[in-house]
Amino acid sequence: MDTIRELYLTDKVSQKNWQTFLMARGISNFNQQEVASIDQTIGLYNEENQLVGTGSIAKNVIKFVAVCDIGAVAKGARFNQLISELTSRLGAQGIFHQFVFTKPAYVTSFKHVGFQALGVTELGAILEKGLPNIKDYLNQIPKFPNAKKVAGIVMNANPFTKGHRYLVEQAAKDNEVVYLFVVNADVSLFSTTERLELVRQGTSDLTNVIVVNGQDYLVSFISFPAYFIKDNDAIIRYQTELDASIFKQQIAPALGITARYLGSEPLSHTTNIYNESLQRILSPDITVKILKRATWDTQIISASYVRQLIKVGDVSTLAAMVPATTLTFIQNNLATLQLRISKGQNINGN
Amino acid sequence: MEIKKMAMAGTLESSDIQIMLSAGTNGYEFELESDVAKQFGDQIKATITSVLQAYAIDNAKISVVDKGALDLVIKARAVTAVQRALEIVDTPNWEVL
Amino acid sequence: MANTTERLRRTMMFVPGNNPAMIKDAGIFGADSIMFDLEDAVSMAEKDAARYLVYEAITTIDYGDAELVVRINGLDTPYYQNDIKAMVKAGIDVIRLPKVETAAMIHELESLVATAEAEFGCEIGSTNLMAAIESAKGVVNANEIAAASDRMIGIALSAEDYTTDMKTHRYPDGQELLYARNVILHAARAAGIAAFDTVFTNMDDEEGFYRETELIHQLGFDGKSLVNPRQIAMVNKVYQPTEKEIRNAQQVIMAIEQARLKGSGVISMNGQMVDRPVVLRAERVMRLAQATNLVNSEGEYIGK
Repeated sequence: MDTIRELYLTDKVSQKNWQTFLMARGISNFNQQEVASIDQTIGLYNEENQLVGTGSIAKNVIKFVAVCDIGAVAKGARFNQLISELTSRLGAQGIFHQFVFTKPAYVTSFKHVGFQALGVTELGAILEKGLPNIKDYLNQIPKFPNAKKVAGIVMNANPFTKGHRYLVEQAAKDNEVVYLFVVNADVSLFSTTERLELVRQGTSDLTNVIVVNGQDYLVSFISFPAYFIKDNDAIIRYQTELDASIFKQQIAPALGITARYLGSEPLSHTTNIYNESLQRILSPDITVKILKRATWDTQIISASYVRQLIKVGDVSTLAAMVPATTLTFIQNNLATLQLRISKGQNINGN
Repeated sequence: MEIKKMAMAGTLESSDIQIMLSAGTNGYEFELESDVAKQFGDQIKATITSVLQAYAIDNAKISVVDKGALDLVIKARAVTAVQRALEIVDTPNWEVL
Repeated sequence: MANTTERLRRTMMFVPGNNPAMIKDAGIFGADSIMFDLEDAVSMAEKDAARYLVYEAITTIDYGDAELVVRINGLDTPYYQNDIKAMVKAGIDVIRLPKVETAAMIHELESLVATAEAEFGCEIGSTNLMAAIESAKGVVNANEIAAASDRMIGIALSAEDYTTDMKTHRYPDGQELLYARNVILHAARAAGIAAFDTVFTNMDDEEGFYRETELIHQLGFDGKSLVNPRQIAMVNKVYQPTEKEIRNAQQVIMAIEQARLKGSGVISMNGQMVDRPVVLRAERVMRLAQATNLVNSEGEYIGK
């Protein structure tokens, strides 16, 4: 009988053994970020004490799964045993909503153990299991079945600027309904609650705009594990295409979204690739509208510039960059925000 | 009885069944993945339903992955999941067994 | 001593308590006793799950003539009391308590079992007990443990923990277990209960398994705890009586029959009185012969 045991990656011999096993099965990306995020790893060993399977957990994500079927009781038995153990371990931590990022070839295997595909592309797939799931998420969002023109916008809004406002205004003008998804991950200078609140305040006059928390489904694509993809450009393509495919395969059909609005991104290579991926995946079913970024004077209005201004405390320039609602919040909380920055909160990136 | 927290029981191995329970508002809402769903889906649901009823649970979302479990296994896993969801693992309801 | 009619206990097969596939098939291998394990084979997070799975199995599946045993979690664990309640309610034949070191531990178990029997309306005294000895202290107290209760049907050596406690490990020749085996066996015989030897885990070492089984058979153990159904036939082969033993036993059985027909209280054979131990041995040989199909239902030798 095969037995499951802890596999401690802190032990050099175990880690080497683990890497060799994975590399023999086509998983060769062991970059620092992917490996460091692992909370625990288990190994499946046969009666001769050889490693015949492994899988890892990183927060609510199952990754680095590989199995050798040679000598197994039945094809798939080892895979099921591993996933079973990993889902139970997550459940024991109170994590019942679980995700898998994997090669498209393994989608079927994961479906057999109760996972549902959220997005599948040529390079990779994301699946979820447990509750609440995508259905529950979509159920609680208000719907407008009679609307013909419905747009979607996804933003981090860290914080909500006049640039964001311009994008939303344009979408609101062109469409009957605009869903404004705010990315949920709480890793930015402004907390998720603050970001959501400032977006709500800053769009409260636009009656056809629905502000929605993106929860687990509209996230920063950079957070997608890419352990099974080797080269860097392919990783960005995989992450951005997968993000686009969740939007296309799950979100848009349920809410009747026909267009996605984006701001142009002349400066960021990554965001450029993202915009290209969105166009490639979403078109022609969903129109992708890329609007030129709003400027003030010659300065492109961006949240990252706003954060720099907060750091140096330049309130008068801020007044030109953000709506009154956001400005009031910054003025009232300037010291707190600056303290967060001085404590090491990264304000670059998005 | 109300489900106090989400709970899961059982495994994905052959002859077993994995049952996940969470609070619901609309009776019993099943999601079932099984290779034999066509033949045995209703029976699987009926067994789980009878356990939920025995604990007087009126509303629940039930997510099930069946791997060819016998009825007795389905019942045992349902009992375990319910007791975990009601947070009565250490003081089980012996009448239901 | 619980059972007046002694039963064969050559093979006690471990079945992990949270494994539906193995629990489902546990009855098909012909083990004399099936031991569902709620202890070491089950992780802490799944103790409750295993308990209800075994409960449902015992109350639903027909395991034929096999004696059903469950190894519960030790009395220093939070699972102990609920394990007892669930297994008594299920109507298990025998509860096996691990890591027994004193008679007091058996007394405590007995009182909880009696309470559970009353609570669930089971016949008081219907649940038998056995103890696993897994430490030096347990071996030293083996006599009082074996005689601790009328419910006791056997004691077993559990060598993994015992050898660790003794600051050694298991060796192929078994010298490190010699003392414990003899002490446990004597305690069992003095109390009139069964003695079970420990498991042998290396499935690739068939020769070693036979060597160990022949040794414990020679010493006088009733049988062995097993981890793999493949070992059942091997143990039965070692325990099968020779033709000569069967012929002798048949003679004794006939002498008993004759004495019964004559209405005589004294059994004699070839001019000698037949002692009770000889009668018991003959009955035991015939049971073994029947179990390995060396005699027909009439008790006639049919060989192999």
